[in-house]
Amino acid sequence: MINKVLVANRGEIACRILRACREAGIQTVAICAPNDLGSLFTEMADELVMLDGETIAETYLDQEQIIKAAHSTGADAIHPGFGFLSERASFARLVKDSELIWIGPSPEAIEQMGDKMTARQTMRDAGVPVIPGEEVESEDEDEAIQLLLEASTRVGYPLLLKASSGGGGKGMRAVYEAANFLQSAEGARREAVAAFGDGRIYIERLLHGSKHIEIQILADQHGRTIHLGERECSVQRRHQKVFEEAPGPTITPKLREAMGRAAVQAAQAVHYEGAGTVEFLLSPSGEFFFLEMNTRIQVEHPVTELVTGTDIVREQIRIAAGSPMSCGDLNLRGHAIEVRLYAEDAANNFLPSIGPLAVFRPPEGPGIRLDTGVREGDEVTPNYDPMLAKLIVWAPSRSEALQRMRRALDDFVILGTTTNVRFLRELCDAQPIVDGSTTTTTIDEHWPNGWAPQSSPILEDASLLAAAAGETMGLHRTAKSNYSGEISGLPSPFSTLNRRYP
Amino acid sequence: MQHQFLSPDGPIEVTLVKSEKGFTLAGHSVEEIGDGRLLIHLSDGRTSYAHVAKVGDTWWVHISGQTYCWERLEPGASSSQNEGGLVAPMPGKVLEVLVAEGAKIEAGTPLMVLEAMKMEHRIVAAKDGIVSVIHFQAGDQVTQGAVLLEIDE
Repeated sequence: MINKVLVANRGEIACRILRACREAGIQTVAICAPNDLGSLFTEMADELVMLDGETIAETYLDQEQIIKAAHSTGADAIHPGFGFLSERASFARLVKDSELIWIGPSPEAIEQMGDKMTARQTMRDAGVPVIPGEEVESEDEDEAIQLLLEASTRVGYPLLLKASSGGGGKGMRAVYEAANFLQSAEGARREAVAAFGDGRIYIERLLHGSKHIEIQILADQHGRTIHLGERECSVQRRHQKVFEEAPGPTITPKLREAMGRAAVQAAQAVHYEGAGTVEFLLSPSGEFFFLEMNTRIQVEHPVTELVTGTDIVREQIRIAAGSPMSCGDLNLRGHAIEVRLYAEDAANNFLPSIGPLAVFRPPEGPGIRLDTGVREGDEVTPNYDPMLAKLIVWAPSRSEALQRMRRALDDFVILGTTTNVRFLRELCDAQPIVDGSTTTTTIDEHWPNGWAPQSSPILEDASLLAAAAGETMGLHRTAKSNYSGEISGLPSPFSTLNRRYP
Repeated sequence: MQHQFLSPDGPIEVTLVKSEKGFTLAGHSVEEIGDGRLLIHLSDGRTSYAHVAKVGDTWWVHISGQTYCWERLEPGASSSQNEGGLVAPMPGKVLEVLVAEGAKIEAGTPLMVLEAMKMEHRIVAAKDGIVSVIHFQAGDQVTQGAVLLEIDE
């Protein structure tokens, strides 16, 4: 039995979990950093514990403080969400040692999968195919990089440098020629140290033209491990997904069966428990390779929920409480698409933007789901991830889902902060999206010189009229902003910036 | 009714003509409907509702799935934007300074590495010149809009 859950997270995923708990009649506790006071998620919990500290390390990553909050509020379980402490084995262990229920897999499974180098070895041993690449073991960091440089000639270029503790594109670099190897490796190591406190990196061959296909797994304490089919999440910018769908448009029942079986095998190899995701690269030849396993709820879990009729967060809680999962046999229905709305300037190398959400009006109507942690009037700050919301649509067929997504994005009004809404809308018209032939390099190939919005002189004129009329009529819905609103009409200072990502 | 806005090609002047229900411009007409939105009759016969909001001096307009920003120029105001300087696009921390004062640089030369939103960003020279002043060192926190370094052409 779980009576009271502490959600050790913030923003959109905290809202998702807090809502699930409320629906299940479970009491909730939220924790929040001082700079998050007033955020949407803090209003959704029965109790709120304010953390001491300023930085993320002093707040959402402070294990002792979070355990203390759980004890002081009488919570009996902790849900870590994604990011933050969700894949820290040490935290899972501390939670269990503190007589609390950890809503997630065992610390051992997190360790085996969370360390990407160990995971590759475990999967090789379990007979699951992994991407060709090499790991090196060396205490000395400079020596490790030298060994990797030597290994790089065996793996071959282009290749990917990855952080062993990595995720979310951090500590990752694509290297196209040996001359850039050292600089990229040092950058990757530095970013990995900053993000994960672990500078170990390894190399993998960069498989061009591949699809990113991942399998959702559920495993309970009663010996049942199942998969909930696949998601295709090939479309990425800067190694972060922006467009996800289920089922995969090119996945046959036979391939689903084979990948599902491999994913279940991967989960069983580490005695997995709870919800997890096994990620694969699917090459144009139809071969698939293990990429990594995410031992937590995934950002894009809603598309699976919509096509399988499951509530993955509720299943997580059920499983952690020791009950059997409630899922029946896999039965896919219709098609679901998710896009991630970011506060970023898609026309400028996807650089994060900040500002007030002076107007925030999400679309409505049948088959539309919005998972967000913000509302109108909030401020987008540089303190946290710039993801504003996930917009998810469901429709009976893929083409109808795409039509619904286009309509929903057209209806989405966000003023005051630059977002990628228009980029996502035009993405829905890109040929690889329309015909389902997306790969991990689709965005770069479709917009080789970067994306710029298609111009519409008539709407541009009309918008000038609206601005001038607004000024004359005094429609100043002026939003207060701690940060100066950034103006896209100007020759922007953003244009002098470049991401270190390819 | 005249207003000046800043477009990517420079200042642009807009002259509204008063009409029975609102204003017109270039064949489009606009009416206020009282809930913060504007009803726009486009010159091609279509009708659209525009959402508008002003943040600072900038008008944000959403119309038919497109979002536009127009910075309003106060009459007589100049729009010069720190010529020759490179500004921080967002608050963050300087990780590394890659050039020294007096260094000769070309467009595209990496100058500084900033960390913001847990990602590294590289500040790159937009044009050729000589680095005249560097305002920050590695480890310094910078605010948005802070001039990081100055370049003489």
